Amino acid sequence: MKCKKAEKWILRSLDGRLDERSREDLEEHLGVCPSCRKAAAEYRSMLALLREGREETPLPRFWERLEPRLKEEQKVVPLVLWERLALHAIPVFAALVVLAAGLFIFTPQTREVSQSEALLMENTNPFSETRRLFEEKRPEDKSMMLIFASLDDKPSVGRQSP
Amino acid sequence: MDEKQLVRLAQDGSQEAFEALVGKYQSKVFSMAMSFIRNREAADDAAQEVFLKAYLALPKFHLKSEFGTWLYRIAINHIKDVLRKRGRAREVSLDDVRELSFVGENVLETAEAERETEVRKGLVHRMVQALPGKYRIILTLRDIQGLPYDEISRVLHLSPGTVDSRLHRARRMLRTKLTPHLRREGGSHEM
Repeated sequence: MKCKKAEKWILRSLDGRLDERSREDLEEHLGVCPSCRKAAAEYRSMLALLREGREETPLPRFWERLEPRLKEEQKVVPLVLWERLALHAIPVFAALVVLAAGLFIFTPQTREVSQSEALLMENTNPFSETRRLFEEKRPEDKSMMLIFASLDDKPSVGRQSP
Repeated sequence: MDEKQLVRLAQDGSQEAFEALVGKYQSKVFSMAMSFIRNREAADDAAQEVFLKAYLALPKFHLKSEFGTWLYRIAINHIKDVLRKRGRAREVSLDDVRELSFVGENVLETAEAERETEVRKGLVHRMVQALPGKYRIILTLRDIQGLPYDEISRVLHLSPGTVDSRLHRARRMLRTKLTPHLRREGGSHEM
């Protein structure tokens, strides 16, 4: 076994991640290699020292000191809760939008109809008024009538479209 | 009551549930802060900040990971911020180490074995601080905090193979840094 591989196995062994067969091979190598034996001892001590600081105790009254800070921050928390509620509100809002769009599409709409259409709907000849205009003999009168006709407000009538 | 229930209750505003979670993790978070910051007051303050951040972020925690993993992630990020604000983590110069070893030698002559261990621990931790960031973090999580490999992988978002190789490299670097200074203390290789 080469020392480089032995070093890897020493660390695996110290982590408890070396299988039995590899451990035997490692032991065999350590028996004949003082340099790796030294490395194993150093790693063992180093890891033991590091692990000693594993569970340090914080300063006393940790929670008692933390609690008022949490309460102080609670002014901000309603906003966070609102964000949380807003997340739930998104699908509800989307469903409402879809519903509204459906209603808009499928509900019969009213639209402006022209005067001619209105007359036709009332079974009235839309040309009856214009006929008088064309029947006028004098061109001045015809022009005047055209001018006044164009000035007239076009009345609109609501009609149900399909 | 299991941890998930506590988290849900805390999310619904139960201070008692959050207190129970703090009770369970305060030592772990404090130890983690301590192993990076090496000052009890500053580490305690950092641990308080970590729990404060966790409390405010609770509504956004969807229990997709373990609470502990999520909390460690917050802790790591916060500690990194603290160290960044304090400037680059102090590199351990050879002068620092000589001074420490010298003090250790004097102490060895007069004080008890407990004190001797403290000095050696101090030396090891100062050397850990001198490692590059990515090695320092992984070594701290595994060898000081004792987190399992798979949890380290989740906390740091690294593949198990990367965790394995990076940790191996970190340990080699630490040993390389430690060995010459320990030799100077009188030839003993035992730490």
